[in-house]
Amino acid sequence: MIRPDFVLVILLYWMLRNPNLCNVGTAWMMGLLVDLASGSLFGQYALTYALTGFFALHYQRRLVLFNEGQRAFYVLLLLLLAQVTLLVLKLFSGSGLPGWGYFLPSLSGVLLWQLIALLPLAGVAPDVQR
Amino acid sequence: MEHNQPPAFFVRGPSPLARLAFFAAVSITLMAVDARLHYLTEIRQGFMAALQPLEVIVTGPVAAYQRVRDYFVTQDSLAEANRRIHLQLLQKNADLQRFHTLEQENAHLRNLLGAAQVSVHATKLGEIVHAGRDLFTHKVVVNVGARHGVTAGRAVIDEYGVVGQVTRVYPFSSEVTLATDKDLAIPVQVERTGMRAIAFGHGRGNVVDLPYLPVSTDIQQGDILVTSGFDGVYPAGLAVAKVNLVERRADSPFAHIVCTPVAGISSHRQVLIVEVSAAPPSAINIKQPPAPATPSHHAPSKP
Repeated sequence: MIRPDFVLVILLYWMLRNPNLCNVGTAWMMGLLVDLASGSLFGQYALTYALTGFFALHYQRRLVLFNEGQRAFYVLLLLLLAQVTLLVLKLFSGSGLPGWGYFLPSLSGVLLWQLIALLPLAGVAPDVQR
Repeated sequence: MEHNQPPAFFVRGPSPLARLAFFAAVSITLMAVDARLHYLTEIRQGFMAALQPLEVIVTGPVAAYQRVRDYFVTQDSLAEANRRIHLQLLQKNADLQRFHTLEQENAHLRNLLGAAQVSVHATKLGEIVHAGRDLFTHKVVVNVGARHGVTAGRAVIDEYGVVGQVTRVYPFSSEVTLATDKDLAIPVQVERTGMRAIAFGHGRGNVVDLPYLPVSTDIQQGDILVTSGFDGVYPAGLAVAKVNLVERRADSPFAHIVCTPVAGISSHRQVLIVEVSAAPPSAINIKQPPAPATPSHHAPSKP
C-alpha cells in the first residue's frame, strides 16, 4: 500500500497557501469526514489532521523563505508526523503493529507534493485588505 | 476609523494552539464515546447516507471506465470465457445432482435424529465498491446495505470460499471485514481430520493464523480449513483457508500455523452475502425445565 494520503496533502497545500481560508478547524472537519468514510473510530483522523495542521501553520510564515527542497522536506516531516500520530492512536485502540511499509505513503505523498508544488505557493500572500 | 480594527491579514481568530487544544479535546471525547459507548452508530449511518451521492460521483469515472472496457472485450476472449463457463456448468451440474440426493438424505436423517435444521436463507449479490482506506484494518465496502435487507453479522462468501463478515451496515452500502482482519475469528474444521479450531486474521498481509493448537496436532501443509458452522453465522463446509506452513518449535507448546485465505478477494468484485438461520426445532420435544420449587402442595415429593 503506497497510496498517498491525498486528503492530507491537499489540505497541507491549502493551509500553507492560505491559512485564513484553511486552518486547524478545517483540517479537523476533513479528518472527521475521513473517519466516516473509512469506518475508523470517530476522531482518529480528525485529531491527526488537526495536529498536523497546527504544525503546518506554525511555520507557515517562515516557509516562504525556504527553497523547494526544504519545503518538500518539511512536508515529508508533516506527513510522517501525521502517520506516527495515527499509529499511536491506532495502537491505543488495539491495533497491531504494521510493518515498515506503513511509512511508504509519506514518501509517495511527498512525490505528490512535488506535483502540487508546481501550483503557485510561494509569494502568494493572502489578500491584504486596507 | 480605519484604525479601529487590524487589517485582515492579522486577523487569525483564536490562536492555532487554542484551536488545536479545543479540537484535540473534542476528538478524544469522540473517540472515547465511539469506542466505549457506541452512541454514534446512527450518526455514522446518517452521514454515510448523505455521503452516498458524493461517493457515486467520485467512483463514477472508474465505473464508466470499467463499463467501457467491458464493452470492448474481443470476441475471442468472450468465446473462450463462454467455453470455460460451459465446462464448469457441466461439472457443477453433475455435482449438484449428487448434492440434491445427499441433501434429501441429510434432511431425512436429521428428522430422524430430531436435530435442528440449519438452512441458508437469503443470499444477496453485492459488488465491492472500494477497499478500505485504513491500513490497519482489512475491510471492503460493498454496494448493498440496509435498504437491500442486509444486516450486520452476515457471512460474505465468493465462489471459492469465505470472504468475511458484514460488520457495519449503512443505508446503501455495508462494510465487510475480511477474514484476514485482526478482529475476525472464524470457527473452522480441518477438512482432512475433522479437527476443530478457530482461525484468526493475522492483520498484516494475506494471512490467516491458527493459534492455540498444540504441537502434537495432526495438521500438515496443504490442509484445507472449512467452516464448521457452529457459530450459526457461516454455513458449514465452506473453504476458508489453506495451510501454508506448519512450524513446530521446541520452545513453544503451540504449533505455529500460517494459512492463506482461499477467497479471491483481490481478483474479482462480486461477493455473495448469505444469512444462515436455524429453523425453530419444531419436531423436538424440549424437556421443560423443572418448575421452581414453591411451597405448595404441588411440589414433587420424593418417593
